[in-house]
Amino acid sequence: MSNALHGLVVALVPAARRDERLRSELTEDALHILNSHIGSSRQVDIGHIAGNIRSKLSAQDSLRFSNLMGRLLDQDLLTRKHAVLQFMAALSASSNQPQPIIPPLVPSISRSSPSSPHPRSRKSSIAPPPQMVNDRTTTATKSKAQLLREYRLRHGRPQVAESVLLRDTLYLLQGISGKFVKFTEGKGDGELTVTFSEEPRYVLPAPTRALILRLSELGHLYVRVSKWSLSHHLQSQLTEYYRLIAVLESQMSQSGAAEDDGRGGGPREEESGLTLRRLEVWVDEWRLRMRMMSVCVEGCQDSAGGALVSLIYGYTDNGDPFVRGFTDQLLEEVSKPFFQTLQRWLFTGELHDPYSEFFVAANEELAHLQYTHAYSNANVGVLTGDGGFAGAEDEERNDSDETRNNGLILWEGKYQFRKDMLPSFVGESFGRKIFSTGKSLNFIRYSCHDSDWVATRSKLDHTGRALKYSDLPGLARSIDSAYQIASKRLLDIFLDKFRLLDHLKALKSYLLLGQGDFADQLMEALLTSLSRPANTLYRHNLTATLEAAVRSSNARYDPPDVLRRLDARMMEYSHGEIGWDVFTLEYKVDAPIDTVIDPEGMEKYLKIFHHLWKMKRVEGALSASWNRIACGARSFLGPTIKGVRRRSSAHSDVLERLEGEWHQIRVVLSEMIHFMRQLQAFCQLEVIECSWKELMDFVTKKDGDLDGLIQAHRNYLDRMVKKILLISPKAGKEEHLLIQVRELFNNILQFRDAAETLYNYCLAEAARADSERDHDRGVFTISESDGLGASKSADNLPRILRRVKEYSGLFTERAQAIVHSLQLHQDLDCRFLSVRLNFSDFYKTRKELKAALEASKAS
Amino acid sequence: MSSRDMNRTSSAQETLDVLHDISQLLNTQLDRETLATCVSMIESGVNPEALATVIKELRRENANLNAGKQD
Repeated sequence: MSNALHGLVVALVPAARRDERLRSELTEDALHILNSHIGSSRQVDIGHIAGNIRSKLSAQDSLRFSNLMGRLLDQDLLTRKHAVLQFMAALSASSNQPQPIIPPLVPSISRSSPSSPHPRSRKSSIAPPPQMVNDRTTTATKSKAQLLREYRLRHGRPQVAESVLLRDTLYLLQGISGKFVKFTEGKGDGELTVTFSEEPRYVLPAPTRALILRLSELGHLYVRVSKWSLSHHLQSQLTEYYRLIAVLESQMSQSGAAEDDGRGGGPREEESGLTLRRLEVWVDEWRLRMRMMSVCVEGCQDSAGGALVSLIYGYTDNGDPFVRGFTDQLLEEVSKPFFQTLQRWLFTGELHDPYSEFFVAANEELAHLQYTHAYSNANVGVLTGDGGFAGAEDEERNDSDETRNNGLILWEGKYQFRKDMLPSFVGESFGRKIFSTGKSLNFIRYSCHDSDWVATRSKLDHTGRALKYSDLPGLARSIDSAYQIASKRLLDIFLDKFRLLDHLKALKSYLLLGQGDFADQLMEALLTSLSRPANTLYRHNLTATLEAAVRSSNARYDPPDVLRRLDARMMEYSHGEIGWDVFTLEYKVDAPIDTVIDPEGMEKYLKIFHHLWKMKRVEGALSASWNRIACGARSFLGPTIKGVRRRSSAHSDVLERLEGEWHQIRVVLSEMIHFMRQLQAFCQLEVIECSWKELMDFVTKKDGDLDGLIQAHRNYLDRMVKKILLISPKAGKEEHLLIQVRELFNNILQFRDAAETLYNYCLAEAARADSERDHDRGVFTISESDGLGASKSADNLPRILRRVKEYSGLFTERAQAIVHSLQLHQDLDCRFLSVRLNFSDFYKTRKELKAALEASKAS
Repeated sequence: MSSRDMNRTSSAQETLDVLHDISQLLNTQLDRETLATCVSMIESGVNPEALATVIKELRRENANLNAGKQD
C-alpha cells in the first residue's frame, strides 16, 4: 500500500525523487487524504457512473466509451470496476476544466466543495495567493449574474438559491404559499395577490420576481378554477394539470440531486433539470388553458345547464384554433348531461333534471295531477256503466268537475319552456319543437295511458344514436323526426282512440244546432214548458224531454258515448225569469279530450248555443204564427183570399174592416221571416260550416302538434263567436250589434204576441158572428155572457191594433239600423250578411226615400 | 514495478489496455504505469475518490514546485 503510494508520489512529483523529506511529507499527506472519508458513503452503481461519464463525452467519444466499457465488463480480473471508473471520472472531471496550457496556473482545488479537505501542505507550501488567480479566471468565464450572486454572497446577503425558489414556485402553481413567495388574500375582495418574503437576509433579483409573478398567475387561476369545479370535464383537465405538476416536481428533485453532487460542475446543471425559465416554457400552454377555464368558470358562476352551455358556446366563435378546440372540447363535456336529459326528454318524455338545468321546467303543483286523471278515467267507466246520457248523480258530476279542467292545464302548465336556459346552438324554434315533443310523449304516456307505445318508440329511436354537441346536424334531424312522430302519434290518439272528431261533430250538431231535426224536436217538446217561470221547471223533466227529442230524431243513431255526454239543465236563475232564459244544453267532455275542448271553449260553445237557440225560438214562433194566420185567413179571416165569399151576407163588418190590417201584418211577418231565415242561414252556412271546414283541413293534414290542434280548435271557436255574435272589434262596442239583434228578437216576439191577440180577437169575432147567424136561424149556441165578453173585447181592438202597428214600426226601424251597422262592419262576412238581408235594397231605398223626401221638403 | 506488471497474465494486460484507453478517452493524463498502480490500489480497497484527490494534490504540489523553480 505505502509502496504503491510511494511510487505514485515519485511518478507524479519528479522532484521528490531527490528530496527525501519532500517525498515522505507528500506520502504522509496522501495517506492522510486516503484515510479521510471523502465520498466514502457513496454507493454508486456502475451503470450510473458510466451514464454520467457518457453524458460528458461527445457523441463519437461516447460511442467509443461504450465500446470500451463493454470490453471492460468482459474482464473478470477486476473486482471493483465501478471504483476504478469512479476514480477516472473524478480525475477527468477536474482535468476537463478549461484545458490548462500551463499546468501550474490551474487552481485545482480552489473551487472544490467545502467538504474537500485543505491539505496541510497548502499552508506551508509556496502557494501563490489563490484568490487573485481565482478572480482572474472567473472574470473570464463567469456571467455578470454569477458575479453578482457571488458579490452578494460575500456581503452576507445571499441570493435565494434557484432550487428553493423552484420549489416555492411549484407550490404556487398548486395555489399553495411557498417559503419565500406567498399568496395573501386581499382585504377587500378576497382576491389573491402574490407577495415576496421581505426578509432582508435574502435578496430576490427583479427579473426572478417577474418570472415568478408570471408563473404564479397560473396558480392564481388554478385556485379560482378549483374553487368552482364546474364540471367533470374541468376536473379531468385539472387532473392533467396535477400530472404536469407531478412531472415537474420529479424533475426538480432530480435536478436538485444533480446539483448536490455536481456543485461547481456548472455544465451539467445547464443541460438537464429544471429552472424557472424552463418551468415558464413548460407551463405556457397551460396558462392559456387555465385562463379559458377561469373565464368560463367566472362566467358560469350564476348560470347552470342550458344557460351555461350557451355561454360556453359563445366562446367557440374564436379565431384562435387552440381556444376553439379547447372550448369545443369543454362544450362537448359540459353539454353531456344536457344531452342526456335532452335524449330522455325527446325519446321518452321523461324530464330527468335534478338540478333544474334543462330548458324545460316541470311545474311542481301539477306533477300529482296525472293520478287524479287516472281516477277520472275510472269514473268514466262508471258513467258508461249506467248507460244514460243524463249522468245525473251530483256526486259524480262534482268529481268530474274537479278534474274536468285538468286536461288543458296539465298540457299547458305541467311543463314550462324556459327560454333563458335554452342553449344558443339549438335555436328557439328547435327548442319549441323539443319542448313540444317531450310534452307530447309525456302526455301520451300519462294522460292518454299509452306508455307502451312510448317505450317501444324510445327503444327504436335509441338504437346506436347518442345526441352529442359535435353532431349538430344529426341532432337537428333526430329532433325533427322525433317531433313529427310524437306529434302525429298524439294527434292520432286524440282522433282515433279518444274520437275527438266525434265529439267535435256532436258539439256542432247539438250545441250549434247543426242537426235540424233534433233541434226542431227539442224546440217543439220544450215549447210549452219553457214559457213557464224558471222555478217551476225541473231538471229531470228537461232531461226526459231531451231524451225524447233524441229518440225521435236522427240523433239516436249517434254513438252512445256521445249521447250520454249530452245533458240539459238550467242555469242559475233569478226571480222573474222564464224557462227560455235559463235553459241550456250541455256536453260533457272528460280528460284528455278536455285538453282540446277546454272549459273556456265550452263556455264559448254555450254562448253560441244561447244565441242560436234564441234565434231558433224566434224562427219557430214566426213560422207557427204564419201558419196559423195563413190557415185562419183561409177559413175565416180574409174573405177575399179565395175569391169566394162564403156566407158573405153574414160576415162581420169588423172582420171586413180588419182585412187591410191583416195584410199589413202578413207583410211585416214575411219581412221578419226573411230576416230570421237570412240570419240563420248566415250563421249555419257562412260561419259554422266554413269554420268547420278550416278545422277539418287541419285535422286531415295532421301537420303540427297538439298545440296546433288546440289552436286550430280555438280559432274555429273564436271565429264562430265573433261572426255569429256579430262582435265588432271596436273597443267598448263589442256587443253593440248583438244587443240590437236581441232587442229585435224580443221585438219580433212582442209583435207575434200582438198579432196572436188580434188573431184571437178575430176568432172570437168570427165565432160571435157565427152565433149571431145561428141566432138568426133560430139556433142558440152562445150564452149572453159570451156575447158580453165579445163586445168588451171590441173595445180593446184599437189598443191591439195600436200595439201591432207600434211593434211593426219598431221592427222596421231596428232592422234598418242593424243592416246599416252591418254594412259598416269590419268583418267581411258580417258585411255580407247585410247584403243578404238587404239584397233588394229594401232597407236602403227606404232610407234614401226618406232622405229624398226630406230633401224635397227642404227645397 | 513494470517488471512486476509484465509478469501478469495476458488478461491483466488486456484489462489494463482497456482501462488505459478509457483513461485516455477521459483525459485523465495518467500514464500506463501510474494507472496500473492506482488500479491495484483501488483493487486493494482504497477509496477511489480519495485517491483521485491524492493524484490531484500531488500534481498541484509538483506544479508549485516547478513554479517555484522557475521563479
